[in-house]
Amino acid sequence: MREITATVLENKRIADEVYSLTFAADDEIAVRPGQFVMIGVGGYPLRRPIAVCKSEGERITVCYRLKGDGTRSLARDYKMGEKLSVLLPLGNGFYVKDTEKKVALVGGGVGIFPLISVIRAYSKSKELYAYMGFRNRAAFCMEYDLAQTKKIAVATDDGSLGFHGTAVQAFMREYDEVRPDVVLSCGPVPMLRALKEAMKGRNVPVYVSLEERMGCGIGACLVCVCEKTNGAHARVCKDGPVFEIGDVVL
Amino acid sequence: MADLSVTICGKTLKNPVITASGTFGFGREFDEIYDISCLGGVATKGIALVPWAGNPVPRIAESRGVILNAVGLQNPGVEKFIADDLAWLRQKTRVIANVVGRTIEDYEGVCARLNGLVDFLELNISCPNVKCGGMAFGIRPETIEEVTARAKAKCPDTPLIVKLSPNVESIAVNAQAAARGGADCLSLVNTFTGMAIDIERRRPVLANNTGGVSGAGIKPIAVRMVYEAAHAVSIPVIGMGGITCAEDAVEFLMAGAAAVQVGTQNFTDTRACPKIIAGLNEWCDRHNVASVASLTDTLQLN
Repeated sequence: MREITATVLENKRIADEVYSLTFAADDEIAVRPGQFVMIGVGGYPLRRPIAVCKSEGERITVCYRLKGDGTRSLARDYKMGEKLSVLLPLGNGFYVKDTEKKVALVGGGVGIFPLISVIRAYSKSKELYAYMGFRNRAAFCMEYDLAQTKKIAVATDDGSLGFHGTAVQAFMREYDEVRPDVVLSCGPVPMLRALKEAMKGRNVPVYVSLEERMGCGIGACLVCVCEKTNGAHARVCKDGPVFEIGDVVL
Repeated sequence: MADLSVTICGKTLKNPVITASGTFGFGREFDEIYDISCLGGVATKGIALVPWAGNPVPRIAESRGVILNAVGLQNPGVEKFIADDLAWLRQKTRVIANVVGRTIEDYEGVCARLNGLVDFLELNISCPNVKCGGMAFGIRPETIEEVTARAKAKCPDTPLIVKLSPNVESIAVNAQAAARGGADCLSLVNTFTGMAIDIERRRPVLANNTGGVSGAGIKPIAVRMVYEAAHAVSIPVIGMGGITCAEDAVEFLMAGAAAVQVGTQNFTDTRACPKIIAGLNEWCDRHNVASVASLTDTLQLN
């Protein structure tokens, strides 16, 4: 975990309201799949927490949706060559055990991006089955990376591309065929709730990456907590963002 | 190289830069980024007698130049602080234990437990985000005096800082109330109560509806209040509110503060405090100031 001044290499629109930002760190940085970074955007007091999508040596790519003034400034004001203050790598990330061969990835919206980092880490060593939900055809992206899985199913809310429905529905349609050893997921809370319900009683570990508004991003300020099923609070930034689905209240 | 040390209540801090409570935990996370022994001190996360769960999320929001927080003083309780963090933090820097409570007895209990174990106690009677206790004790001068007196009676061996709320009628009157109650030092300002609205949802952004406003945007109000408080009492004052750089810290010192705390800027720039310390040294050298302590209360009004 460190704070660096990175140089923007590329910052481009890749889908409707979604940008891909690649920056170069000062040095090689080991990032595990599912970890995130905090990016400082000039003039805004809070850094923006964004999941790492790809990392290769000192080059790191994050993808973000234009959501508010901060992300809009990030898209508009940080062209190639600009400097960025970045805190990284943060959080625990996804782990896949050696015994887990078949890995199902269930992603929705910007939640697909941390799962892309899983694909890049495990596409050679694991059988990956990806179920990715998008709002519509215009929101679809990451075609090349998604194609590195054994099986990819795209779902859209309006049916304009692939399966008409949610990523969880697409996953459960094929569940008995795939029989995954582990499920990794990231997406909107209603999607995660549906996944939790659908996986109840199946005795397969499910790990979810959570999103929360953050302060420091390193575990000090206790802003981004989630409720655990045992009643305690966990820090999404430091104890997460990845949790066993049964351990957290969604 | 200027002398950056300052002495407050007989205790010398290596420099006047202290991290503000609630933004820095107990220091361990920031110590992964830089060695926190460079700091003048750490004001800890608010510590209660027993663990507190805090408020629902979202606990943070942003507005132009400021943030709002409503963490609600989630903390592990005094025993866990003593067991897990105190010894480690003490060998790093000066420890200012921020004390929270729902009742006066809570405050007394934490002060009694930490008496003699920390460098300073900081009585948080100014948190706007908890329903009982917190700011309820910090608005009226009579209750400020009472809670201060009762807490001070329990910590005879440790200097007691009373952290004042800015959400009050007269900061000078409240500063004097704390001094009458036996405070050894004051710190101010805590956050201003505010609200941010998500207009798409027609709801406040914070789950708590309101939160404490902090960050660069509050600095001029904080400087004015530190000036008023410092000139109303004879005990030392620690100033805070929107400090982002060494020049901001100098303003507070000139206004009458003996030291400063830095909070929100730790989020914006994880290395804010070491940068401010280095910047103070440079500023002093540039202005032929031999000792940063000599800047305190040197403001000349127009």
